[in-house]
Amino acid sequence: MGSQYGLKFAVHLVTNHFGKIVAKVCETLFRKGPLSLGEIIRCTELTPEQVKNSLLVLVQHNCVQAYVPADQFRDEEESTVTVEYLALFDNVIHRLRFPKFLEIAKRQLDDECEKVLDGLLRDGRLTLKQMVERAVQGKENPGAIEAVVRGSFHKLLKAHYVERCPAPEPVVSTLIKAEPAPRKRGSKMAKKFEAPETIEQRVMEAALPGEAIRFAVIEYTGGNADREANSDDTIMVNVGDNSGGIANEGSILWRANFEEFIRHLRHKLLIENERKRLDDGAATILSAILDATKNVEKKVKIEKSVPLSLDSIFTEVTKNEYGRTMTIDRVRASLVQLGCPQRNLDDSYSIDLKNIVEMARNEEVESIVLKRFGGDAYRIFRLLSKSNCFLETDKIAELAIVDKKEAPRLLYKLWKDNYLHMEKLVVTAAKQSRFMLWKVNKPVLWEYVLDEMYHAALNLSLRLAFEQEKDEDLLHVSRDKLTPTDKSGEVNSVQKRYLRLRDVLFLMGSSLMKLDDALMLFHDF
Amino acid sequence: MNRLQGSSSSAKRKRELALVSDTLTDGERVLYNLILSKRDMGIWSGDMKRETNLPDHMVKKSLKLLQSKGMIKEVVNIQNKARKHYMAAQFEPSKEITGGDWYSEGSLDKELINVLKNVCVKYISRQKVVTRDGVLDWSRKSGVITAEVSNQQIEEILRALVLDDEIIEVKSTGYGDFENVPVGRVCYKSKSKGGVRGEPKDGAMSSIPCGVCPRINFCTPDGIVSPRTCVYYQKWLDF
Repeated sequence: MGSQYGLKFAVHLVTNHFGKIVAKVCETLFRKGPLSLGEIIRCTELTPEQVKNSLLVLVQHNCVQAYVPADQFRDEEESTVTVEYLALFDNVIHRLRFPKFLEIAKRQLDDECEKVLDGLLRDGRLTLKQMVERAVQGKENPGAIEAVVRGSFHKLLKAHYVERCPAPEPVVSTLIKAEPAPRKRGSKMAKKFEAPETIEQRVMEAALPGEAIRFAVIEYTGGNADREANSDDTIMVNVGDNSGGIANEGSILWRANFEEFIRHLRHKLLIENERKRLDDGAATILSAILDATKNVEKKVKIEKSVPLSLDSIFTEVTKNEYGRTMTIDRVRASLVQLGCPQRNLDDSYSIDLKNIVEMARNEEVESIVLKRFGGDAYRIFRLLSKSNCFLETDKIAELAIVDKKEAPRLLYKLWKDNYLHMEKLVVTAAKQSRFMLWKVNKPVLWEYVLDEMYHAALNLSLRLAFEQEKDEDLLHVSRDKLTPTDKSGEVNSVQKRYLRLRDVLFLMGSSLMKLDDALMLFHDF
Repeated sequence: MNRLQGSSSSAKRKRELALVSDTLTDGERVLYNLILSKRDMGIWSGDMKRETNLPDHMVKKSLKLLQSKGMIKEVVNIQNKARKHYMAAQFEPSKEITGGDWYSEGSLDKELINVLKNVCVKYISRQKVVTRDGVLDWSRKSGVITAEVSNQQIEEILRALVLDDEIIEVKSTGYGDFENVPVGRVCYKSKSKGGVRGEPKDGAMSSIPCGVCPRINFCTPDGIVSPRTCVYYQKWLDF
């Protein structure tokens, strides 16, 4: 079974953003897998109009991908084909992260880029023409604004933060490679969050070759953007050479490339974790390596960094202010710290990124164990997690220096809450004896913890809404009445409630964002 | 030499046994020999009854007498503290019975462990980087540790501190802090930088009520336990 609360949380987000009817369609797709329009209407018992509109909304916001199952062509060549719709779990959850994406665009590029991206995130998909129209609306000097928007768009495109939308209704087949990448996300979702029915497997298989096409799109437009970044005045005239000139400015749809943002966030996590674990030097080097190889990475979850020679690492490192203080010996020592004691055969270094992610996951789960079960359990858990094999009860008590009477009780508690895996062993020698063997089964535990996190995120979000609802009247009170104005600094009850609400919203909002980091750590990284 | 010593001690034991046997009844002698034969493992009174087939009251009476003569002693068995466990006076209880070095009177000596832990953490944080031998050397020479503690125990403490995440085990690279340590040697380092105790861990989950909630499996949006009615949230948001 997939992540139960993951789906609940996704449906909750869709409900919040697009209302109950759209959420019902989305939930049906999550629960039943890809469906045709007719099937959705039957399952949801909504009117065809409602379902159609809901699907349009979901497609517009990249939460649903339509496709044509290829086997239809084989069966009946001439007749009309049925389009099926697949809900994209990841893209729904990404909606929670929009503030983070905007922050990245702002930090790495500039405020103007943030505005353009904001438009794309709000509207889902836009043509360049629409983006310009959006910005110009009701403002003076449209010419200047248009130039700024175009410039920002090119910057975003160059940084791969924007991508061309996938084909609207590709044929999914292992023979015809016409599958854009979102299929990949969708299929991953299908594998992870729905029963492994044959249709999902087929979609997943069909999805694989599509990746190349998608990256071709990015390389293509990316290259284009490069060219155009050099000459400010030439606008995206030649974007699609195959589709002909300026006309397509109004027809090519663009959207935010979530994958690139997630990659950026993953890199950030990797670097910050190594900074915390080792030092600034190691972090600088890792950052340089990841920066240099960013465009070569084929997917977000790469296990090892792309191999790079010491010379190129050193060149990259010296681009950074802190890096300039490092000697080549220091760089080598830091590489050793990062876990590359020997270079590969071809004189290149590659860092085990999966290991860093694993350590971060361990730390997150350990902190839960510490808080929920206490120090002794924490030691036991870390012992089992590090040794990564079965250990016997008494041995555990001995190694973790936990009272032998206490250890079985703690182990049982951890097991009961799904944090440990246990097996009974009966030995029949001279005397029959039973042993309890314990282990941390990481893949299973990670999935369990992730589901608990989705549950927690859902709860946080529900409670946040509840708190807002409770003090709704405060929203209609004028602002100057809410902040204490008189010099005595006394606060009346309304102001007190307002201050509390402000603190509550801030705490819950930031907790949700932090929890989202953990969600990404366990799901996307 | 050894053989000489051996034979003299066995002779001594025989003499003692003879002496003892003189003053004991048959039943007492049978019991005593049984207890003696179990050496440092001792034996539970229930097992004695089973093995000797002596009646209950006789066993009780004989044990009392043997104890009053100082020939046997009662020891606490870590496996089952409620059971009366006896051992001949000349033996020290084995590790299986006491639970090991960290146990005194049948329970874990938490105080000793905590003191040792604190002392070690302080030493390591002062030293930046230190090898295991370094810690052992210091523990013997410094005189900080007054209790009788073996090298093995110190090693166990270090291992527990690693599990506590108070210190970390690293391999020397030969650079920086490791300048004086041969490359590849296992070292201990204080967890936080600059020797100050690290800030407590704050995971994303563990800092919100749901992360530590014992009832999360019963919690549903419209259930009896729900985020709207949750008492933990109430406490958390009580500004």
